[in-house]
Amino acid sequence: MVFTAENKQVTLTDAAAIVQDGMVVAVGGGLSWREPMALLRELIRQGRRDLHVVGTAHGVDVDLLCGAGAVSIIEESYVGFEQDFGMAPNYRRACQQGITSIHDTCCHTLLQQLRAAEYGVPFLPVRSVQGTDFLHLHPEYKTMTCPFSGLPLVLVPALAPDVAIIHAQYGDIHGNLKILPPLVADLLFIRAAKHVIVTVERLVSTDELRILGVNVPYFWVEAVVEVPFGAHPTSCYPFYAYDRAHLTDYYAAAQAGPESFARDYLTSYVYEPVTHDMYLERIGGASTQRALASWNESDDAWRALFTAPEGALA
Amino acid sequence: MNDIAPTALTVITYATLPEVMIYQVARTIQDGELVFHGYGSPVPALAMLLAKRTHAPHMIHIEGATYGVNPDPPFLPPTSNDWSLSRGSVMELGITDLFDIAARGEMGRMFLSGVQVDRYGNLNVTTIGDPAAPRVKLPGSGGGCNLSGDVQHVTIWTTGQRASHYTSGKRQFRFVNEVDFISSIGHVARDGRSRAGLGLRGGGPDWVVTELGVFDFEPRSHVLRLRALYPDTSVQDVLDNTEFTPEIALDVQTVPLPTPEQVALIRRFDPLNTHQREFKSSDVSRRFELSNSY
Repeated sequence: MVFTAENKQVTLTDAAAIVQDGMVVAVGGGLSWREPMALLRELIRQGRRDLHVVGTAHGVDVDLLCGAGAVSIIEESYVGFEQDFGMAPNYRRACQQGITSIHDTCCHTLLQQLRAAEYGVPFLPVRSVQGTDFLHLHPEYKTMTCPFSGLPLVLVPALAPDVAIIHAQYGDIHGNLKILPPLVADLLFIRAAKHVIVTVERLVSTDELRILGVNVPYFWVEAVVEVPFGAHPTSCYPFYAYDRAHLTDYYAAAQAGPESFARDYLTSYVYEPVTHDMYLERIGGASTQRALASWNESDDAWRALFTAPEGALA
Repeated sequence: MNDIAPTALTVITYATLPEVMIYQVARTIQDGELVFHGYGSPVPALAMLLAKRTHAPHMIHIEGATYGVNPDPPFLPPTSNDWSLSRGSVMELGITDLFDIAARGEMGRMFLSGVQVDRYGNLNVTTIGDPAAPRVKLPGSGGGCNLSGDVQHVTIWTTGQRASHYTSGKRQFRFVNEVDFISSIGHVARDGRSRAGLGLRGGGPDWVVTELGVFDFEPRSHVLRLRALYPDTSVQDVLDNTEFTPEIALDVQTVPLPTPEQVALIRRFDPLNTHQREFKSSDVSRRFELSNSY
């Protein structure tokens, strides 16, 4: 869809209100990088339910939504904390207890589905997937013999998310954006989705943005909110590295069970700090922000951020 | 590119099992191949950094999550979508570039792991138990499902072939008769169809590197075949820790050890020892003397 309002700057509250219960939501970024965490926290505060999340390889974003009971269908290629902490506790519980239904996808499969939406065609083929159990997990995938080559193919339907939620480094009030790589699937989400909500680290003038280089034009974006540290606790270079000390606490609370996660994490970091400014105070204010921004002072400083809480943030 | 000499003048007299295993994974890489490792995979990441700086200088290194081309990272962080892993890259590919490269048949090799591995190299990283109501939900396959079909060659690696013991006396095998979910395809599907019958482009897994040994697949039966052991493992170790009966090569070798210079490279790229998080501490403490110290 295209959006032509001159000024798209709104509050976090209003931006989150675009997302409705039950929507198919594409969450931008990936793993521990540039995930739109401030907006997800606001969705949780607004009590959003039954979301169907789609994406490639994700981490704390999807795990947080699971821990808050906001998700009913998960169609991601991976949800976890890699070598850092391991499996995603809230995600696992939600899947294993049947709270969310498991629609695991695979990266290229999802890209083909998004591209079908982007290209305006009802499906696209893939050669892979055959012989795997993803065909049983997704009865909507079809198989056919290619009329040109005779090859067996898997056809995957177009997937147009109801809403894409993206955190970008730079944007202007019209919705023009500069997203720095890794772009993950964000540019596809933006083209395929019906609504696009963006939080940005820095709202700048259109002239400044032109110099930085626009890679998303304004007319695909419906709402823009300036949210510094809006990806915290994930990273958003060049502004900040991820907050390993915070994620360590998050993981411990999540691993200890749903009650402790609600008490020790959701209450402290989502429900009580009702504004993003209050959240920034809760995570340690200016000193935490300075520490996370220190990654580019030296390789040693950068490396120390990955040993926190023992290292720089101790 | 960094030069090979480490900055600290430490004498390297031994390699750990993880370092020797990284070297075995590196040896599966051919010079001139376009090679990709998945995210959350420090063992193949280090193998690629090592291969490009030793026997495979023309290897094209595509980084696991940033898709950086030929990076020269200052260190390996414990999370993959990090700018440290892109440093020195010419550029970062887009996600569709990366998967289209594989779908077109241009990706020479990638690396896959699994919580369950069967005799044909089918891997499970999705669910343990009934997929509709799983006992354990695993993190998922990322791009592995598609890439297992498309990539020319796959190296399977796992640091956990050794079966765990439960107090009940039951053993949990990683190398199993049947995987609960086929997340990525090996040589033969559940219904007996071969890769050619499935119309898959790639050749499938050709090497399997574990903490117990190095395997390939017997060319006619496509069954896992032991090719080499570490200096401290035996054929019996492999048989005891594999639920099915693997093929055993007639001339099982002892794996070659890396040189001290190669070990120095691994240690320089991974000062945080991120790769050790993949291993049991009993395997990290396995050490092999090197003949020429450095």
